[in-house]
Amino acid sequence: MSSKPTALRVSIAGFLAWLLPGLGHIVIGDRKRGIVILVTIAATFWSGVAIGGAGATVDPENKKLWFMAQILAGGHTLAGYGLHRSVINSLPPSDKPPYLAHWLSAEIAVHYTGVAGLLNILVILDAMSRAERLSSGNGRKRKLGQSDP
Amino acid sequence: MNWLLASIFLSSIDVTGKRLFFMFPLCLSVAIVYKSTRCHSMRDVPMAALILWVTICLGMLGVGVGLWALFSILV
Repeated sequence: MSSKPTALRVSIAGFLAWLLPGLGHIVIGDRKRGIVILVTIAATFWSGVAIGGAGATVDPENKKLWFMAQILAGGHTLAGYGLHRSVINSLPPSDKPPYLAHWLSAEIAVHYTGVAGLLNILVILDAMSRAERLSSGNGRKRKLGQSDP
Repeated sequence: MNWLLASIFLSSIDVTGKRLFFMFPLCLSVAIVYKSTRCHSMRDVPMAALILWVTICLGMLGVGVGLWALFSILV
């Protein structure tokens, strides 16, 4: 990737960090950091789905603002939305949305998934800035724990 | 096995009376991700995240106790 222009490298790192939180760091060579972020955000998001159930957690029709936060977790949210659609489609017409879990479970669930998405803003920006630093030559020094000159 | 795995995510769980305990894992994940982006070396992350986690939890509990005390005095 060293021959690619900086803007393209930064964009790819940002897109991959959105698509799967932590993947941006892994691709630019910061594997440990990427794996820790990947596991933590995935655990947070899917814990939320497990608490509230797929039918009531990732629900863009009834929880628009929360969905805007959730979609920042990229692939997790797309998978969660697929699960939500399959749950909704399996319901009889009389039970169609709003399909609700217990309100408290649903509240905790959207907080977990929403916070996972919002945390990914930090991760995307960090992956992009590290990719830029690597392109400009400062990344290797920082990666080895040395200070800037 | 696949059905068991899927069923974990299909139905909600009852959290009545346990809602406070769901704050701790969420704060832990915030602390880990934040410190993973801020620390230069990943070796520093566990201790930094632990300190931040304790700080967040104590801070939120402090705010909760403060608001509860204020509510008790005013009402």
